Amino acid sequence: MGVRKKTLDFLDLAFKLLVAMVVLVFVLYPFVAVFGKALYRNGRLNFSEFLFLKGELFLVKNSIVSATLTAFLSTLFALSIGLMTFFASSRQRKIIMFILLLTMVSPPFIGSLTYIELFGRNGLITKQILKLSINPYGLWGIVSVQTLGFTSLNAVLLMGYLDAFDNTMIESARSLKANTTSILLDIVIPIIRPAIAVSFLLSFIRSMADFSSPMIIGGAYNTLATEAYLSIIAKGNSPRASAMSIILFIPSILVFLVYTYFSKQEQRASKSSRDTKGELKKTGLYYAIMVLAFFFILWVIIQYSAIFLAAFTDKYKGDTYFTFENIINSIPYLKDSFIRSILYSIIAGILSSLIGLILSYYSYIKNIKYMRVLDFISNMPYIVPGTFFGLGYIFAFNKWPLELTGTGLIVILNLIFRQIPMSIRTIQNSMTQIEKATLNSAKDLGAHSLDILKDVVFPMTYSGLFLSFSNAFISSMTTIGSIIFLVYPSKKLATLVLFDLVSSGKYKLASVLSVVIIIICLSVSLLSYRILNRGRENVS
Amino acid sequence: MFLEIKNLTKKYNYLEVVKDISFSIEEKEIICILGPSGCGKTTILQAIGGFIDIDGGGIILNGKNIEKLDAEERNIATVFQSYGLFPHKTVLENIIYGLKFRKVKKREAVLEGKRMLDILNLRGYGDKRVTALSGGEQQRVALGRALIVKPKLLLLDEPFSNLDTKLRISMREELLRIREVFNITMLFVTHDQEDAFSIADRIILMNKGRIEQIDSARSLYFNPKSEFALKFIGSSNIKDGYFVRPESIKVTSHGGKEARVMDKTFKGSFMEYIIKYQNSSYLMYRLNNEEELQIGSKIYIEMGKKKI
Repeated sequence: MGVRKKTLDFLDLAFKLLVAMVVLVFVLYPFVAVFGKALYRNGRLNFSEFLFLKGELFLVKNSIVSATLTAFLSTLFALSIGLMTFFASSRQRKIIMFILLLTMVSPPFIGSLTYIELFGRNGLITKQILKLSINPYGLWGIVSVQTLGFTSLNAVLLMGYLDAFDNTMIESARSLKANTTSILLDIVIPIIRPAIAVSFLLSFIRSMADFSSPMIIGGAYNTLATEAYLSIIAKGNSPRASAMSIILFIPSILVFLVYTYFSKQEQRASKSSRDTKGELKKTGLYYAIMVLAFFFILWVIIQYSAIFLAAFTDKYKGDTYFTFENIINSIPYLKDSFIRSILYSIIAGILSSLIGLILSYYSYIKNIKYMRVLDFISNMPYIVPGTFFGLGYIFAFNKWPLELTGTGLIVILNLIFRQIPMSIRTIQNSMTQIEKATLNSAKDLGAHSLDILKDVVFPMTYSGLFLSFSNAFISSMTTIGSIIFLVYPSKKLATLVLFDLVSSGKYKLASVLSVVIIIICLSVSLLSYRILNRGRENVS
Repeated sequence: MFLEIKNLTKKYNYLEVVKDISFSIEEKEIICILGPSGCGKTTILQAIGGFIDIDGGGIILNGKNIEKLDAEERNIATVFQSYGLFPHKTVLENIIYGLKFRKVKKREAVLEGKRMLDILNLRGYGDKRVTALSGGEQQRVALGRALIVKPKLLLLDEPFSNLDTKLRISMREELLRIREVFNITMLFVTHDQEDAFSIADRIILMNKGRIEQIDSARSLYFNPKSEFALKFIGSSNIKDGYFVRPESIKVTSHGGKEARVMDKTFKGSFMEYIIKYQNSSYLMYRLNNEEELQIGSKIYIEMGKKKI
């Protein structure tokens, strides 16, 4: 017994040290490195890189304007979809969920691709149907592409809130003769206000940080994110890029603080049976909601049909015909990059979930103080823009003893730690279901701390781990910002190949690659949903 | 007849949860639907409130058929088991919410709301958040919110289930008082016979979607019309088509039938005995101001058997 306990104690300590080390080295250090790059020159504090704020303040203004518009529109559409599903049958909900899922498993800039095909100078809708020749590039291009991309996550977030809505509140209001419009304005919307605020803020940060859509569709409309990207890619000026990333980071951290504040305000409404819902009278506001929601859904359907059509058709003398030629032509682009992408994403998915599990075990279940600090630090990749995190990796790991730049390892590490915040959230969410008494019983029966991790916590967070894996896999498959500076040109990942194809106007090939990415992610997502649901049925 | 339910039927996925139910209520009556969980009692309440569509039958309030009307068109208010209070509004805002749809001016509404707070002994609570209130206070806010619109009929779903024993007793008294103040008819559902016995004028006993018996508490207890009614309400000894309540077995000093005390349990105000008589066990209650019997002793009893 003594030897066993000693071995386990040693392993316990090793786990703690390992987790502490990786979080400090791969999350905190790169973060600090960006500040170092921007603020230190020749060993002294130096603010000259921030002078761009004087001459190029329009960059900040552009970023804020486009982020505000995107955040407003994507929240408005998401709210409409959320409220529509609130009144919909479970079958209709499933269909809408599938459509939302479609946009969530796509690379972030995919909207730009179809936007140009549909609304561009030679766009199918603007040129061929409406006979217009308008310039699609600029502010409204960015806003519409980002709105299309961000609305789904917001809608899913709001639907989660509405799912937990106490239905007796609505029934009470109805029995007091409240009409549908009043119920929505007086009861439903005020109660989900925290969720509305959260989705607005989330979209705001995401829009600020997104450089890919403005690069493709922004035209002359430059933002902080695109300028930071170009500073590295075109000018090789990393201090300038760092300074811009720090400026981008400021609103993000503010928004994150507000976000945490609103998250704490969450209504813990009881889940009541929904037998009696869906019979609200269809008046006034209800129709406005339906119009907005259907407009968005139609938009998604048109965009995605366009991608699928573009992948399988070509034009000859003005006639469109069905072909596999695009697919054959895309094979050279697909071959290596996709295998690499899938492999990296699987590794990132597994490791970020495992590290998340061990970290959460020590911080959330065992409540060790310094582990809670590490837990907080590991949330940073969630707050900072992707490019910020990518730059940090370049600055942190370009010299001995951690000279990793140019290797595949740095990309994998970046993917792992970029996903850690979401993994921790998902895992801790499923840990809330483990009762203190269960843990104490195990301890009482003589289980070592690591036995508890293996025999109690691991099996009981199984669904959380699974979900965390599939989320991390999908994000890694579709991410671009954090890895774009890290990937060696000969070792590209699928999203980067896709980004290049879209940037250079090869829309047909880009469509094929998009379709493949979407199919892979969609299958993983649906498969995990199936497995998780089956697991749940077995329990009940 | 104030409220009349005629042949009400409700199915969920082909499963009939309410089967051909009919009953009626007089004005100012307090009626309780009593039954085990899953007997269909809440479904009836939801059907009257207008929150579910019914599959057959009629609901007549004050001579008018209302089963086709929406919930908001019926002059009925409901107090839900979980109260359904609006957590983002204050106590007063909750209470006066319904007046908004009756074209009452905001100032008058506030005055009326304050009067309601007084009636419910909630004076000074108006500006508090409902989430800061105790269960009993939330219950009264929910009542006030329903009563302020002067409904013809008040429906209450398990009104006492979230309250502790002491609060239960005071809320029962509160409901009786409210009936006097507002002249209101009430229909409530519960699975707790004590709630039903304490305040209901008549009890509708339900089982598996059907009505077993409609009676006063007294007749339900003394003259149960079915084995279900007998078993569901109170304790009883059932033998060969006859029943005897445990408190109806009397120990006599002489004469009577011979029995033996097998076991006893102290229950506070009374003792519970298990006695053996003619090779069967019987449950017997004796108040604790009577002499305590010893286990194993021989006693003589009289029992008033009744036919089920």
